[in-house]
Amino acid sequence: MVGEPDIFRWPANPTELPKAAFHREDVFRLELERIFRGPEWHPLAHLAELPKPGDFKTFRLGDAPVLAIRGDDDRVRVVFNSCTHRGTQLQTCSRGHAEEFECPYHRWLFNNRGELLAAPGSDRFPAAFRKADYHLRELRTAEFHGLIFATCSDDAPELATYLGETAPLFEQVLGDGRLVLLGYQKVTFSSNWKEYNDNEGYHAPLLHRAFRLLRWQGGKGIQCATEYGHVGLQAELQSAANSDFLNDRSLVEFRGANGAPPKSIVIALFPLASVIKHLDVINVRYVIPHSVDETEVHYAYFCHQDDDPAMMRHRLRQSSNLLGPSGFISLEDGAVFNRLHQGSLTPGRVRYQKGVAAMAPPPCIVDQNDESANPIKWEHYRQVMGFERDQR
Amino acid sequence: MISAELLAAIDDLQIRYISALDRRDFDAWLACFDSHGSYICTPRENEEQGLPLALMMDDCYERLKDRVSYITQVWAGTFEDYWTRHFIQRLACTPGSTNSYSVITNFEVLYTSARGRSEILVAGCYQDEVIVSPTGAKFRAKKAVLDTSTTPRYLVYPV
Repeated sequence: MVGEPDIFRWPANPTELPKAAFHREDVFRLELERIFRGPEWHPLAHLAELPKPGDFKTFRLGDAPVLAIRGDDDRVRVVFNSCTHRGTQLQTCSRGHAEEFECPYHRWLFNNRGELLAAPGSDRFPAAFRKADYHLRELRTAEFHGLIFATCSDDAPELATYLGETAPLFEQVLGDGRLVLLGYQKVTFSSNWKEYNDNEGYHAPLLHRAFRLLRWQGGKGIQCATEYGHVGLQAELQSAANSDFLNDRSLVEFRGANGAPPKSIVIALFPLASVIKHLDVINVRYVIPHSVDETEVHYAYFCHQDDDPAMMRHRLRQSSNLLGPSGFISLEDGAVFNRLHQGSLTPGRVRYQKGVAAMAPPPCIVDQNDESANPIKWEHYRQVMGFERDQR
Repeated sequence: MISAELLAAIDDLQIRYISALDRRDFDAWLACFDSHGSYICTPRENEEQGLPLALMMDDCYERLKDRVSYITQVWAGTFEDYWTRHFIQRLACTPGSTNSYSVITNFEVLYTSARGRSEILVAGCYQDEVIVSPTGAKFRAKKAVLDTSTTPRYLVYPV
């Protein structure tokens, strides 16, 4: 147990959480160390965001600035976005193209494979100085359906093992990975990252009035909670029979897959990112935990390289208005995250209820509208953090 | 050369537009658009990277009407409300085809949450196409390009 074990106690009941976990600075610092610098995998970019050699994207892994670069050898590397000399942040643009990266401070120059090419005045460096020791520090990476994952730790299991039962769902969202980037929506929530990622199927038809108006619920659906804390949801959506109240029904129209019912797929990865398909929207959400009470989310949207212009246009129009921070069926989430964070300043515990009787060790299948996958995810969190449970 | 009367009609439209938003009168907001009108709200970051995605893409009049329904019927009562104040400054107005004008206007929008704190919601510029007729000026196309690439929490209301 961390910090002040007499204050911070993890409940014996696995369906309960201490609210202090959402506010304590010492817990947040330990999360950066054990989760974000620990043996977890984090998706940071899709190949479609770096389509050409020299393309780069900056992001954060936990609090650390990182740079994903497609080198002139066509290989995508993830490196720390920091000059190997004094640590200056090397690139500040969110996305761009570069043959070389020059640190402005002392003009150390790196190529887009991360290799140090030149350091001015190196004739006066110690004799033991070798450029090869000062290449940009590369993280361990793995690719899955075009999505680039990185980890700071050599102890992370193979990516396929880590993704577990969610792995087959990636095919349903990202297909063969040959995607085209449509753009980003970015938002900062005034909440802890664990409140942001603690959504479940219980709330969907209750918080989001559009779900009820569209009568989308009622089709078959399940959630699967996995060993490493991921939750994969797949649900059939009723074809939007009740879209009469919309003047432009294309917002909720499904044009993909011949004859198959429209689906909602949500791969909520531990700790933070998610990979989502809803109707024809293809969406990856990358997340930065800035502090105990600030969480930044980048929604990236894609179409497929084989889409005809009409399908591409349809995905673009649906993506812009349906699922994001101002989306027709999703806007209300942002308000709830803020309120969760304020409300969790009160004493006591979070207590999950719906479907918890069916909880079992992962992999565990639960109903699409239950909240019982969340305590299974929290158990992975507890173990990674090294918190001990109260005996009683 | 654009006449003073014409500029006054265009400025009056911009004032009616921001006044409708700050009063949260969405029928009045809709009335600022002509029947082929469109509204796009997008971060400048997407624009500069050639990425077509927007935060709000009401690219036909049907979607403008639907946005009013989202706000007044679908989302109502589910979000923590906020109050806005729009401040605008016209930078340029150039004539296009018949009765059509291209207008560039800076904006800054403050918001005040239920807790009573006022902060900046977004800053950016409008790139508008305005149609002027004997009955007044209306937007054919209104585009709010946000310098603010990361917006706070959620945007319920158009900018």
